[in-house]
Amino acid sequence: MKRTRATIVFAIACSLFVTCAVSSASPRAAGPVPVAGAVSSAAIYSPGVTSPGVTSPAVTSPAFPVSVKSGTGTVRIPSRPDRILSLSASATQMLYEIGAGSQVVGVDKYSAWPASAPRTKFTGYETSAEDYLYLKPDLVIFAFSSATLVEQLQKLQIPVLVISPATTIANVDSQLAELGEATGHQTGAKSVQSSFAADIASAVHSANGDGRGTTYYIELDPTNYYTATSGTFIGAEFSLFGMRDIADPAGHGSQYPQISPEYILREDPDYVFLADTVCCGANAANFARRPGFSVLKAVRLHHVVGVNDSVGAQWGPHTMEAFVSLLARVLRQGAASS
Amino acid sequence: MTVAAAEKAPPALFDTAPAAAPTIYPTRLRPSHVLVGVCFVLVAATASILIGPADLPAGAVLKDILSKLPFVHVHSGLSRTGSVVVWQLRMPRMVLGGIVGAMLAVAGASYQGVFSNPLADPYLLGIASGAGAGATIVIVEGPVLGHLPSSALPPAAFLGGVVAVVATFALGRPRATERSAASMLLAGVAVSAFFVAVQTFLMQRSSPGDLTLVYGWILGGLSTAGWGQVELVLPYVAVAAVVLFACRRLLDVLTIGDEEATSVGVRASRVRLIVIIAATLGTAAAVSVSGLIGFVGIIVPHTIRLMAGPSYRRIIPLSLLFGAGFLILADILARTVLSPGEVPLGVVTAFLGAPFFLVVLRQARRLG
Repeated sequence: MKRTRATIVFAIACSLFVTCAVSSASPRAAGPVPVAGAVSSAAIYSPGVTSPGVTSPAVTSPAFPVSVKSGTGTVRIPSRPDRILSLSASATQMLYEIGAGSQVVGVDKYSAWPASAPRTKFTGYETSAEDYLYLKPDLVIFAFSSATLVEQLQKLQIPVLVISPATTIANVDSQLAELGEATGHQTGAKSVQSSFAADIASAVHSANGDGRGTTYYIELDPTNYYTATSGTFIGAEFSLFGMRDIADPAGHGSQYPQISPEYILREDPDYVFLADTVCCGANAANFARRPGFSVLKAVRLHHVVGVNDSVGAQWGPHTMEAFVSLLARVLRQGAASS
Repeated sequence: MTVAAAEKAPPALFDTAPAAAPTIYPTRLRPSHVLVGVCFVLVAATASILIGPADLPAGAVLKDILSKLPFVHVHSGLSRTGSVVVWQLRMPRMVLGGIVGAMLAVAGASYQGVFSNPLADPYLLGIASGAGAGATIVIVEGPVLGHLPSSALPPAAFLGGVVAVVATFALGRPRATERSAASMLLAGVAVSAFFVAVQTFLMQRSSPGDLTLVYGWILGGLSTAGWGQVELVLPYVAVAAVVLFACRRLLDVLTIGDEEATSVGVRASRVRLIVIIAATLGTAAAVSVSGLIGFVGIIVPHTIRLMAGPSYRRIIPLSLLFGAGFLILADILARTVLSPGEVPLGVVTAFLGAPFFLVVLRQARRLG
């Protein structure tokens, strides 16, 4: 009986904790905080932007077999691959952009674009290559090299390409060329390279130099303050506009360091970009409610921008072009409102 | 052995011979111990307020703190941002670090007492794995479960930890005829393994970004500390600390064994239940806001045991003080070693605590 009573007390205490936690987490303001610069994640993947990017299959006929330089070394591809399995969301974007979409038989669960891509449940972190065999792939593309998977696929005589995370815009360019060569779409790849460069240049030009000398903080995680330095592909996009990353001094060998909120306050960045809106529900309003952050310049000037998490994780041309355009728009608005 | 002789004799690491004729150790809390503990906390707290990447002048920070005291009129000269750093970032972080450290240390000491097991720590009955599974569910499945915000993490971790301990208790509750709580320890191992399996399964299916979040939480930290979190955990930790403090004499009685304790009028099973409930609620609340910070619950009580003797009348209050000071100091290192970057707090406590504990252990053996 006494034990039952103790258990009841225990249960009441637990429910009290949850109630307190939820109520303290709920917004205290009566309504949403107006944030002029805030752009919803929909801005990155709006329907109007997605469709025109897909290139129809270009007719090219490079001589196969080809040898392509990849993250795992030089890979020999004996014939034009017609059953490509892409386990990298960025590579998926590149494949469809260069016109190799019709050769793709499967993409990983994170490949959000294009919507028509044959999505699977794969993550690229499977423990056995046998999982992939039902798709009968003749080329498998990873973003990160898993020695076991690569070795197993090589034993099965299935070529493997590793398209490692880009660190510069030039990296994206060379990866497009790599995939063009590997899939028989060199012409398509060259065309995308040109349009990619032109679109990026156009977006940068449209900002009229408004971002030059400004500082930014890009957030990848609201609970541990993980961020990205300018030595990453997302950092490279900001660098195009002459912006300075406040996280650079925190690199210490990692391009994705964890920084302290006190340091963010000290640096007081001109712009804050939240790339943790999908994973963690971050937005300009709850960012402003974090301890001490209400005094940040970016908060006061409404320069806190929520973006789709993919901008910090995917370096495909589609994501990058959309983000650079958004960045140009934010900088123009920011300069106009300051 | 007289009390005076016992004061000079090096204490044993842990008195694990309940049935044997007990060695008499001094039990009363010495004011000098308390004084050292209070000074340790004050030094750690002051350093925590003065040190940080914002490079605020120490004099100005101290003046700003003094200016908040009644009848003290000084102008600190600190900027608005500087004042915000002190009062909204450093201060709650220091207070939360103290609360979490005190709770983990006192819970560790209490578990070691009720289970007569020197390896017992606050995570013994599955809190860590349960809280880890709860946090992982929110991180990995959050977007699927309707865009759960990061603020859902503490309640999920708290619930996960409590559910795991309740499961352990339900499965391993010793029968009246049983002499020890060994079955509960085994149930704790099984429940922990189950929740770890759940967590691992979810992590295996998650994205690299989610993995970073989960690992960030597992390694613990206070980087998001605010007054809201202090308000959230303080009632639980305060109640737990008061209950455990009140049980310190009973924990001493338990060291002579359950049957012997019963013969002097102490119901071991009831004491065990009360201590487990208090330590669980307090630890789950602490873990929910700080993640899994290891070693504090083992290192701090054992170091006190080695320094001040095996009596829980000393260990429990001193664990509160030294646990608080230890975690505050560890957090200073966490945010300064790679400044302006941060190191997960759990990494610092293990890195700092394990060698320190080994030195203390070696020293005690040498003296012995």
